[in-house]
Amino acid sequence: MAETFLELEEKSSHEDQSPFAGSRTGLLSLVAAILLALSACARSDKQPPSPPATSESPSSAPATERVVGPLSPADAQALATMNDRLKQYVDLHRKIERSLPKLPKEATPRQIDQNQRGLEKLMRKARATAKPGDIFTPEARPVIQRLLATVFGGPDGKQLKASIMDEAQAAPSAAKLIVNSRYPDSVPLTTVPPQVLQTLPRLTEDLEYRFIGDSLILLDVHAHVIADFIADVVP
Amino acid sequence: MRLRHWSSAALLLLLIGTGAAAVQALQSGAESPVSLPNQDGSLKFSVLGDFGTGEQVQYQLAEQMAKLHERFKYDLVVLVGDNLYGAERPQDFQKKFEIPYKPLLDAGVKFYASLGNHDAREQRFYKLFNMEGKLYYTFTPKPNVRFFALDSTYPEPEQIRWLEKELAASSNDWKIVFFHHPLYSSGETHGSDLRLRAVIEPLFLKYNVIRPQRPRPYLRARQAAEGDRVLCRWVGGPVAGGQHRPGVRHYGEGIRYRSGVHGR
Repeated sequence: MAETFLELEEKSSHEDQSPFAGSRTGLLSLVAAILLALSACARSDKQPPSPPATSESPSSAPATERVVGPLSPADAQALATMNDRLKQYVDLHRKIERSLPKLPKEATPRQIDQNQRGLEKLMRKARATAKPGDIFTPEARPVIQRLLATVFGGPDGKQLKASIMDEAQAAPSAAKLIVNSRYPDSVPLTTVPPQVLQTLPRLTEDLEYRFIGDSLILLDVHAHVIADFIADVVP
Repeated sequence: MRLRHWSSAALLLLLIGTGAAAVQALQSGAESPVSLPNQDGSLKFSVLGDFGTGEQVQYQLAEQMAKLHERFKYDLVVLVGDNLYGAERPQDFQKKFEIPYKPLLDAGVKFYASLGNHDAREQRFYKLFNMEGKLYYTFTPKPNVRFFALDSTYPEPEQIRWLEKELAASSNDWKIVFFHHPLYSSGETHGSDLRLRAVIEPLFLKYNVIRPQRPRPYLRARQAAEGDRVLCRWVGGPVAGGQHRPGVRHYGEGIRYRSGVHGR
């Protein structure tokens, strides 16, 4: 059956058109794309701004938009304190990273390992006194918890929790989280559904939100270090 | 509209699972091999996922892949994640990737990776995974074929925006998106990723994408077309009388999203 499988193929209108097909529109598109790319590159080195106060909620937004809300002005101010700490962390991370040999885009496993462990060692040393709340500040924590509670309490909440907990049984160390410790190699990363990421403040590419058990962790993915965490955020 | 026979299409997809059932099936002599359409000039590729254990079963499957390559010269392998389970020290890259796939690497087969939840993010810098330091990226092995690798463990809005922009800008005949989490699966352990599906499937429908299914021994992919989603079977390995059989040989299937096309 497979070798006689037939498909009714209909060539859609967009397949007939190259986006840059020699027209004025195409040229404008190209210029716009270059400008967008340049602005994206320019943004990538900066800490994203803290989210503004908004009455909007991610539930009605398309997946391509990040909507951290609803936020009161006080909530936005609370998240700004977290953003300031994130900036300090990222500045430190990049300063230490610059002191190490630059990792090429086509590296050997040995180069990758040396770079990663070197960064981990220096980051942990530089933050030897780090404690919970250093980045997820006491002001920001209840806001993050409320944002997540809204998402998990929504109509898709059960499925979202199931996605996150998919392989949670393989994470026995969930109760032993320590800030500034190495993320355990034996614990797979949790998948974070797009609907959850959509409602959390944007991070730089060195940092990611992940979960271990019911805790939200801030993971330095390059140093393999748990930069901070909030316990009991998954209802 | 026009009709196309998949058997004469310019692209062949070969999905290879791992695990004991897949290896037993590959080694079984009970079922004669199915002739694969081996058209000159076609792009032939394999899809491999959930494999990097370093255990015997991975090596057995790698050996079968190399044997198959001797008579069916697939050009590249796309990796759909869980490329290295557990530790990822330099010796693990050897044991779980470089040694088992050495015959293919020596033959010039290129591997393009996407990451699963068991993979450290630094894998994107590993030269043999051809990710060029990116968690999501695109490449064009032939002028009319374009692949898009996604990071489905962390689908931020920025990544979804990137995907839509790239799909919209692509005029390639074949747009193939690959990533770790199955949008459709009857697997009992993980199953379909409905939250991811809700976000990215509309883009696949809009931009006519092919989505290879991640093979698992227990996976029984959907047989019938539903609306705009057409389950495509690219080669005939596992199919007998239109039904999947457990313990398949080499097979390929994917979901092709066709705007305005209903039925199969």
